[in-house]
Amino acid sequence: MSAFLLRCVLPLLLLAGCSGWQSALDPRADAAQELHGLFWLFTITCGIVWAVVMLVLAGALLRRPAAARPEEERGRAERRSGRVVGGAVAATVLVIAGLTLASFFATRGISADHPEALVVRLRGFQWWWEVTYDDPSPNWVFITANELHLPLGRPVRLELAAADVIHSFWVPNLAGKQDMIPGRDNVLAFTPTQAGTYRAQCAEFCGLQHAHMALQVVVETPEEFGRWRATQVAAAAAPESAEEVAGRAVLEGKACAACHTVRGTAAAGTLGPDLTHVGGRRNIAAGMLPTTRGAMAAWIADPQTIKPGNNMPMVPLSADELQAVSAYLVRLR
Amino acid sequence: MRLAALPAVVGHSITPVAAAVVDRELGQPWGFRVTGWAVAALLAMALPGNVGAAEVPPAEKELTPASVGQLRLAFTFRTHHPGPATQAPLADGKTLFLLTPFPHTLYALDLATPDATVRWRYTPEADGTARGRSCCGEGQGGMSLEGGRLYVNTLDGRTLALDAANGAPAWEVRTADPSSGESLASAPLPAGGKLLLGNAGDRFGVRGWIAALDAGTGRRLWRLHSTGEDAEVGIGAGFRPLYPGDDRADRGVASWPPSAWQQGGGGVSGPILWDAGSGLVFHGTGHPAPLVPDQRQGDNRWTSGLFARELETGRARWFDPLNSHDLYGLGATASSLLLDRDWRGAPRRLLVHPDANGHVYVLDRGTGEILSAEPFVPVNATAGVDLATGALRRDESKAVRRGRMTRDICPASPGAVTGASAFLPETGLLYIPSRRLCMDMEARNANYIRGTGFTGANLRLRPADGEGQGALVGWDLEAGRPAWTVPERFPLSGGVLATGGLVVYGTLDGVLKALDARSGAVLWQFQAASGILSRPVAFRGPDGHAQLAVLAGSGDGPEAEIDRRDASAEDGMGNVLRDLPRSPDPGVTLYMFRLP
Amino acid sequence: MRVIPAALLLPLILAGCKREARETRLDPPVAEALGGVRVMANGISGQPPMVNAAQGEPYRNNAYQLAQGKRLYEWFNCQGCHADGGGASGPALMNGWWRYGPDAVSIFVTLRDGRPNGMPSFRDRLTTEQMWQLTGYLQNLGATVAATAAPSRNDAMQTRPAENRAPAMGALPVSPDR
Repeated sequence: MSAFLLRCVLPLLLLAGCSGWQSALDPRADAAQELHGLFWLFTITCGIVWAVVMLVLAGALLRRPAAARPEEERGRAERRSGRVVGGAVAATVLVIAGLTLASFFATRGISADHPEALVVRLRGFQWWWEVTYDDPSPNWVFITANELHLPLGRPVRLELAAADVIHSFWVPNLAGKQDMIPGRDNVLAFTPTQAGTYRAQCAEFCGLQHAHMALQVVVETPEEFGRWRATQVAAAAAPESAEEVAGRAVLEGKACAACHTVRGTAAAGTLGPDLTHVGGRRNIAAGMLPTTRGAMAAWIADPQTIKPGNNMPMVPLSADELQAVSAYLVRLR
Repeated sequence: MRLAALPAVVGHSITPVAAAVVDRELGQPWGFRVTGWAVAALLAMALPGNVGAAEVPPAEKELTPASVGQLRLAFTFRTHHPGPATQAPLADGKTLFLLTPFPHTLYALDLATPDATVRWRYTPEADGTARGRSCCGEGQGGMSLEGGRLYVNTLDGRTLALDAANGAPAWEVRTADPSSGESLASAPLPAGGKLLLGNAGDRFGVRGWIAALDAGTGRRLWRLHSTGEDAEVGIGAGFRPLYPGDDRADRGVASWPPSAWQQGGGGVSGPILWDAGSGLVFHGTGHPAPLVPDQRQGDNRWTSGLFARELETGRARWFDPLNSHDLYGLGATASSLLLDRDWRGAPRRLLVHPDANGHVYVLDRGTGEILSAEPFVPVNATAGVDLATGALRRDESKAVRRGRMTRDICPASPGAVTGASAFLPETGLLYIPSRRLCMDMEARNANYIRGTGFTGANLRLRPADGEGQGALVGWDLEAGRPAWTVPERFPLSGGVLATGGLVVYGTLDGVLKALDARSGAVLWQFQAASGILSRPVAFRGPDGHAQLAVLAGSGDGPEAEIDRRDASAEDGMGNVLRDLPRSPDPGVTLYMFRLP
Repeated sequence: MRVIPAALLLPLILAGCKREARETRLDPPVAEALGGVRVMANGISGQPPMVNAAQGEPYRNNAYQLAQGKRLYEWFNCQGCHADGGGASGPALMNGWWRYGPDAVSIFVTLRDGRPNGMPSFRDRLTTEQMWQLTGYLQNLGATVAATAAPSRNDAMQTRPAENRAPAMGALPVSPDR
């Protein structure tokens, strides 16, 4: 009895994949909606086809052998099976044609071009994301990392590129996958229809830390988005306490400045994520740790234990320097 | 032989040579031969040797196409300095001043003595860091002479004033900081009691500036930048924007991504010109940093363009963006010429600027309006200049994108012309030492670390076509096209001297040539022991004889430690200079020629 | 009976599966020991840290370390002054002539402390491990003898013979002394 109950209950756990912040079965944008509809159409249709085929197979296996039937029935049976086969072929052609048309219209729907789209350039690095917001006036063009903010209801056009190897951008709730190939420009376009925070991740094996290359997509109202954008364009917040001032000195004087940018300080490196507003992001290290002072200090102290093989070296800092720089960075909202 | 007959004989003996050379070089038929003969005949008649009377001694000869064949090497002065000599010697009647490359030594040679003894020498303090800041035959400081004083810019960022008579230092100020990559690449300009100079260092992401010092004391009067807010650039009430968009406020910030202008480049590394009549100073700004355009979206004001500023305050009058959002690291620091000539019928005050992008720009120097822009070398990255907007018509297939390799971009960085051009009113020709090169550019990621290169692109240069990697172009200014072209095996880097119907220049493999200014025929040449990167000078010595001097030294010896097996060495020139013959004597040497 | 030789063969084959255990995190004591270079008074050459030899000279013999060195060469702007080994405002690194000597300690000290003629100090820009990775790469680049390990080739612009072809091999230019 308990084994039977277990067999009934366990499949229900699979339904946990149907919702959440990284689920293709919980569409929150028009592109994902199209794909979602397509997914169920294919699943149901193919499920019915499978069931029918199984029934026919069962019938064929359980039927009386042909030799046991009388002569006159065989001829009638032959003609009947001929009609059935013909009908099945016709049905197959219709089903496949129908599914092809459905797929064609869905794909056309998700690649439509909108002239008023917000253009964001995503560049994949091993193993983090560089996000550049484009704008007609160049001093509104800013760079952030590992987090994407989008205004609700406005079409967005993501221009995808890669810096080193092939990556793939996938935010299941909002759109399908699109590869990021070095030397080639790919585009992913969609319009988010529901506010919320969603998780995207790299969908093409790109090295040691491919599994830990996540990105947060935050869909918010246009007013909130405008406020966020204005904050991002501004230079880094000035340090207030003495510890933060010391932290900035560590950032500029040690190896941090050689790889990272904090606009408003002397740090202008472009090898690692832009840290101008790192304190305002929800995660650091491409979705691995929350943005708290402790996690920041842990990451700076030993990035290779948290994310082995990534390109951030273990910079030797004294305890005071580590305290100071983590205090400073967390304050950069 | 009677003296009177001598010039005629000389004239007759030169002309067949000239005519034969003309025929071979240009393939022109009898028309040129007639012209050559006619010129020679006219010269023969004009030469004072025809005067028969004996009371007045014959005046010494001028350097002309007829007499250039008689130039003799008077002496050489070896400094044994291994660097590239870009500063031409300065002649002051009795004294010749020489500035060696970094680490500098200044020599004052006494021209009155037959082998030019050293009257004094001066070695300023040298900060060794600067040695790693200058590349590929770029200028290493410079000097100018005015009012009995020598004003010197050193590569490591010092400006000094010395008494020209005895080398006693008058003052010395530090104007550039080599630890950030800044250096001084050209001579300071004395103008109206002030001394103007600008910095170099675009490849290191240094913010460019031009400054004026008081020539008497060295105190800084003003310094204005090439990027940043209007107040720091000198854009104010007197500024007259030429094109739409430049009238908005703080373009030096708004046409860059946030904070990118702070490492924006735009160094004033080329020559500065002064027009005493209008009180305006003209200069070009260098290319923006980094070389990768994707990391600096926008027009990148005020880099890669020409400025006109008021001498007194430095405030800008106009700005011409010649290479807006410079994709190829060209800049606009090539030398210009101020000419007062008729242009299309009306007399105008012109500024003629053969630019690195391969076009000869003719501007009205009062307003900055572009009157003409025609290409003088093979160009494929752009299809001409739109005179209404001043913008280049770019070819999209030659766009540069991060992560891509773009091939065969013509002209190549650092530009179609790097040396100083010259103009002769009697021929109406502009003589341009051009470089006919194309390049492959692979744009990667540019990372900024203070004191290191901020470029982000790998370059590989190659010849534009089969007709020589360089050429001396005799450009017909009015017609807007070349009258003649003399192809050269290597790109021309040194400046051109135009005087007395002759065009004199030196090549990278050490050949000093004199051409006839009208026809382009090679009349005389001399093989120096090292490549020539500086401009020859002609003057009359204390004994009245015409003299020609050139400072040879291309810095290409073993001391430079360049390995051309790497095609991207020396900013991509390694690929083009593999056949450059090794200099027998790579040290900086002065060659002095004299007409007997 | 034929099963037994096959069974004996299988473990032998599996033993060949030992792949390189790449150490992504250098133990901090080892990292600090790597910085323990004792330099001679003139700044040229000296005693390398013993831990290098103890680890089997990984920065010379391991392709991963060389590839990291090559990545750092581009990332830290070496190409701005030294091009791809051919030199520009800085001297060439692939011509086999080393101003301060060819041994690893001299190159490491050059990177760490800088040199008088314009080479900046990378002490506060690179970690010790990164400096050793670069040192190994530079020795590979400037080697006149073919090495056993090499980094991967350039993606796009191939400007010189690849590192595994010992680009410094061949006719050496004349010594600056002559």
